[in-house]
Amino acid sequence: MLWLYLHFPHLLLDHVRRSQPVENALVIVEGTGQSVLQACPLAQDQGIQPGMRLKTALGLAPELHILQADQQQQTQLLEEQARWLYRYVAHITLATPDGLWAEVSSLQRLYGGLPAIWQTIEQALAEHQLTAWAALGHTPLAARLLARAGKGECSADKGHINHALAQLPLAAAEFDKTACTRLNRLGLETLGDVFALPQKELARRLSPELLAYVQKIQGTRPDPRAPWQPPHRFRQRADFIQEVEHTQGLLFALQRILAELEEDLCWRQQDTDTLLLVLQHRHQEPTRLRLRTTGPEHRADTFLKLIRLKLDQQPLSGPVVSLVLGVRRFISREAPGGQDLLGETQDLNEAWHTLISRLQARLGDQALKQLYPQADHRPERAWSAGAVKRAKNSALMNPQCLPRRPLWLLPGPCPLTETPVAWFSGPERISGGWWDGQRVHRDYYIAQLPGGQLAWVFRDTQNAWFVHGWFG
Amino acid sequence: MSELLSTLLHDARVWQGHRHRTTTQPAETTGFQALDNQLGGLGWPRGALSECLLDASGIGELQLVLPLMKRMTEAGQTVFWLNPPHTPYAPALAREGVGLDNLVVIHTEDASDFLWTLENCLRSPVTGLVLAWPGKLATRDVRRLQLASEAGQNVCVLFRERRQAEQNSPAALRLELVPDEQQSLKVNVLKRRGSWSGQRCTLAMAHRANIRVQEAPRVVQGPWPGVAR
Repeated sequence: MLWLYLHFPHLLLDHVRRSQPVENALVIVEGTGQSVLQACPLAQDQGIQPGMRLKTALGLAPELHILQADQQQQTQLLEEQARWLYRYVAHITLATPDGLWAEVSSLQRLYGGLPAIWQTIEQALAEHQLTAWAALGHTPLAARLLARAGKGECSADKGHINHALAQLPLAAAEFDKTACTRLNRLGLETLGDVFALPQKELARRLSPELLAYVQKIQGTRPDPRAPWQPPHRFRQRADFIQEVEHTQGLLFALQRILAELEEDLCWRQQDTDTLLLVLQHRHQEPTRLRLRTTGPEHRADTFLKLIRLKLDQQPLSGPVVSLVLGVRRFISREAPGGQDLLGETQDLNEAWHTLISRLQARLGDQALKQLYPQADHRPERAWSAGAVKRAKNSALMNPQCLPRRPLWLLPGPCPLTETPVAWFSGPERISGGWWDGQRVHRDYYIAQLPGGQLAWVFRDTQNAWFVHGWFG
Repeated sequence: MSELLSTLLHDARVWQGHRHRTTTQPAETTGFQALDNQLGGLGWPRGALSECLLDASGIGELQLVLPLMKRMTEAGQTVFWLNPPHTPYAPALAREGVGLDNLVVIHTEDASDFLWTLENCLRSPVTGLVLAWPGKLATRDVRRLQLASEAGQNVCVLFRERRQAEQNSPAALRLELVPDEQQSLKVNVLKRRGSWSGQRCTLAMAHRANIRVQEAPRVVQGPWPGVAR
């Protein structure tokens, strides 16, 4: 097994900078807001270093933009990266908050060798405007340590990798603090020194956990990693350092997100017809916009036009801090046409399924119904609505044995408010339902109302009159 | 260009007051001889909108489309009912010989969904007939529907309120339905392609409730007068 580890040293910075062009220096501070976690190159030029206290940093650069690191946001960002990486690599494992593993030994034949994989991924990283340090290793941990130390090289040679690992200082090996101090006190400086110790002694003198960790780096102890599965939805977020007050500023970020959506949809061979755009404001409830296309769509510029129209209609209610674009509903792409080989006759069966599934996708399954007669005397139970099915004309019951009924049935009986001008037939007594508690005991008449409508009216046991249907 | 003009004139798409041309647009007979005669021997236009304007349901408006509906379902084409105001009663439809397997009832929540659904139904080759109850509809929307219906080859009947007769509409056929004596239905042609409008006819619809016309007065004696409400 060969693992590739991608370490994103400043993922949040990259994310913010591609949503909005920023002129000033930018730093990411930790949750409490005390010290600097990541600093952009511009900030570093002004002397700001990661780990510095925020007050010091502000003293160096008064115009500094500050962004607070958010654990959840970082995880989501990492998932976004895993999502596009999934197109190239099948087996991905997330290493929150800032890295991910990709299993590459199974890909060598597909891409034609390691250098090709390496190049593909570097190219993709550049396209996504991301900084990442990559490294290869025969165990997940070895790849990770090398990547984080920035010592990664495109080589699968075991001796070479082991040599690079052995050169790593203990501080870069991610031992826990006490273990690191104890190893230092033993006079060990590099990871190679630790590897050279007899394993029994290592476990006895230090701890079995430490030995397990060392063995996992070396590959003598199994270190299984569960593969990550991409969720069946699309969600991208853009954060703005400077609040956006005009639509134009939003469109800049949306352009990139929509391009990624298009790529994603092409990759899945799917379309969508609903986009959900959430604009977050600093002091207000977020604005939620639901955008619907007339048909299944995947092109970014169509979506962009639609969003532009929507935003023109509905001005921003306040400055926007961040936006999230989500897609939950995917529609599989249909084969163009539905025609036979010669293109002469259309396949009606397929066209029917296409139409019905489109309608159901937009309106919901409950919106479409087919009607069936039921064997019951009570009018409201003599029919039922079922799911739509494509059926060949099923055996019809003899229609003439059905009694004369109106074509319209009201959802429920409706009190008769006008005195009918003429009576035609009746009474027809319908009495039933004693077997299931829904007792019906009515005398039905056909009557003409003053408006000229023919109504199906009935009188119940309390002598009250109701309209139950219209002879449409 | 002149060829295009002559096609337009020939198809009776351009209305000419002094000349009476029969349109070559495809159409479906209504099943009522009297009405077909008034519509130039054609009937419901295919690939165009038809409108029925009426005040209240129960005057025989479904009877008007029933022969067509029956034919369409027998031919295996799908009939859509879009936002019907009441429940189409399955036993009655089955009794009239309508194939319920080819009948789909759709309810939409808002106006945009309604238009979208109707457009999709009209453009599909499986659709034979669409009956739609749109409620309020802007002229712009009717035009949009008219364009959609031209893309397909099916009959679309919109049931609208009678006061919308005042508004102009891009629909190819507009009928005003008024109840008449003896449960019959008076049909006024408000607009049709290729000719003057203004024709009217009365269709006997008493059979919808099994009333025989000559018998009708005899049965008038109802239970009403004797019963206190």
